[in-house]
Amino acid sequence: MQLIKDFVNGIWNENPIFRIVIGICSALAVTTSANNGIAMGMALTFVLTCSSILISLLRNIIPSKVRIPCYVIVIATFTTVVDLFMKGYFPALYNVMGIFIPLIVVNCIVLARAEAFASKVGPLRATADALGMGLGYTWAITLISIIREIMGTGSVFGYKILGAGFTPWVIAILPPGAFIVMGILVGLMNLITRKTANSADGH
Amino acid sequence: MAKELFFIIVGSIFVNNFVFSRFLGNCPFLGVSNKTETAIGMGIATTFVLTMTGVAAYLIQNYVLVPFGLEDFLQIVAFILVIASLVQLVEMIVLKVSPTLYNAFGIFLPLITTNCIVMAVALLIPLNNYNLVESIALGFGAGVGFTLALALMSGIREELEFADVPDALKGPAIVFITAGLLSMIFLGFTGLVPLA
Amino acid sequence: MNQYVKMIVVLLVISCASGAVLALSYAVTNPKIQQQELQKLQESVLKVIPGATKMEEVQKDGITVYIGLDDQGNKKGIAFPASGSGFNGVIELMVGYNPTEGKLTGVEVLSMSETPGLGAKITEESFTGQFNGKSVKDQFIVKQDVQAISGATISSTAVTKAIKASLDEIVKLYPVGGDF
Repeated sequence: MQLIKDFVNGIWNENPIFRIVIGICSALAVTTSANNGIAMGMALTFVLTCSSILISLLRNIIPSKVRIPCYVIVIATFTTVVDLFMKGYFPALYNVMGIFIPLIVVNCIVLARAEAFASKVGPLRATADALGMGLGYTWAITLISIIREIMGTGSVFGYKILGAGFTPWVIAILPPGAFIVMGILVGLMNLITRKTANSADGH
Repeated sequence: MAKELFFIIVGSIFVNNFVFSRFLGNCPFLGVSNKTETAIGMGIATTFVLTMTGVAAYLIQNYVLVPFGLEDFLQIVAFILVIASLVQLVEMIVLKVSPTLYNAFGIFLPLITTNCIVMAVALLIPLNNYNLVESIALGFGAGVGFTLALALMSGIREELEFADVPDALKGPAIVFITAGLLSMIFLGFTGLVPLA
Repeated sequence: MNQYVKMIVVLLVISCASGAVLALSYAVTNPKIQQQELQKLQESVLKVIPGATKMEEVQKDGITVYIGLDDQGNKKGIAFPASGSGFNGVIELMVGYNPTEGKLTGVEVLSMSETPGLGAKITEESFTGQFNGKSVKDQFIVKQDVQAISGATISSTAVTKAIKASLDEIVKLYPVGGDF
């Protein structure tokens, strides 16, 4: 079914982080602990889904010449809503994320999907795509966070899993660690996709 | 005063480089860093937008948002609209001044709007309570730092073209790993800027 | 002509709708946000003044301080905010001071964006604890009478300087040995 294809697309084939490689800034900055990864993923999915649905609903009304400003206003509105609600109901998380919550408004994923997809299809497909992309983004950055958190602090989701004898590799939760973990994971994804493509060809 | 400004600029170029320490500007960083010419051109255009954003963010925050009590909920919308307009303006200027340059930039010029560095600079100004001159310094420093990052990366990438990169790592993967190494180098700048 | 009118109308409508949604969200969330901030303030004040169970906001000479009181209404100390530029942004602190003894009673980091694993350690008891019972007459210089976090001199210095700067102001209002 088309909707299911749209949904699954964002999770693996066109995973925004590992395959298309967009929306990276937040993926690197907030992935210092698994909790942050999940929170960021949910915030982005919310903005992405709401924006995509609204833009899809308005796609025949918005004149092409002003479409970017219109999309931007819609996205900025939902980003602000997330910003306000996190400030009020999840202040601890909000403090950790810092400016990356407002930065969702310039997260390439949201604008890219609006321009490339949501503005061209009906709301149902737009929703499926947004949810898929959001989920793909969330699992990707959660994976990055888990790796960085374990290597950098010996715990995951706040629970210590490596014993006291483990000296944390602080570099993992510093900027270089983010870039390197990201590079390795993208490389791994390439390897896996290539292998599955090869075996599908019957090599 | 000049000392603070110097530290803001040096700080954002080296110590808190927006790409290598703050993880911002990754999308254009990946997209444009393959050729040094385009990279530097992009850096300069972005620096221009960034410096103007510094001014705009300061003015909007202090003369529009705060006086009307709107800064808590209209900040994001106001800033992004101003940024989009500034980029539009720069696009028109570049088109008029040098159509060849305009074509060389292609899609990357409008993409400056979604460059997180620009929005981040806008947000950092009210956050740190910078005055007008400090705001300009931040925007300018951020742009120079970004250009530096692009120049470094494009230089390396042009060499990497001739290196024997494993298949799976070709493309974004090796760029990230390289960026990680560059980021480690920039970590060494920690402590370069003493506190005022 | 029609084209332009349509563009402007659509933009205006979307902008107004956006403004309305945001104003509404703000109206809904702001009370909660204020509540959170007040709670956070109270918690930090009570934390830096051991023995205090209530706080009272006091304005003196344009400066806001918080007096910590225990259940019997006895004044246990004064808490005041301090802030300074850290390595990666502004660091905000709450500092507890007992004028009768001329000592600090506690330091709490309210917000900071320092480097995790390094500068971020300023939030840990192992760093802030050293300010408990510290005489306000000390120099407040890192590596002399204040111990820095290894690898995070800038963050440590930022905290120390912030405390000293605000402390100087507060001691003028509430001198050592005096009343509060």
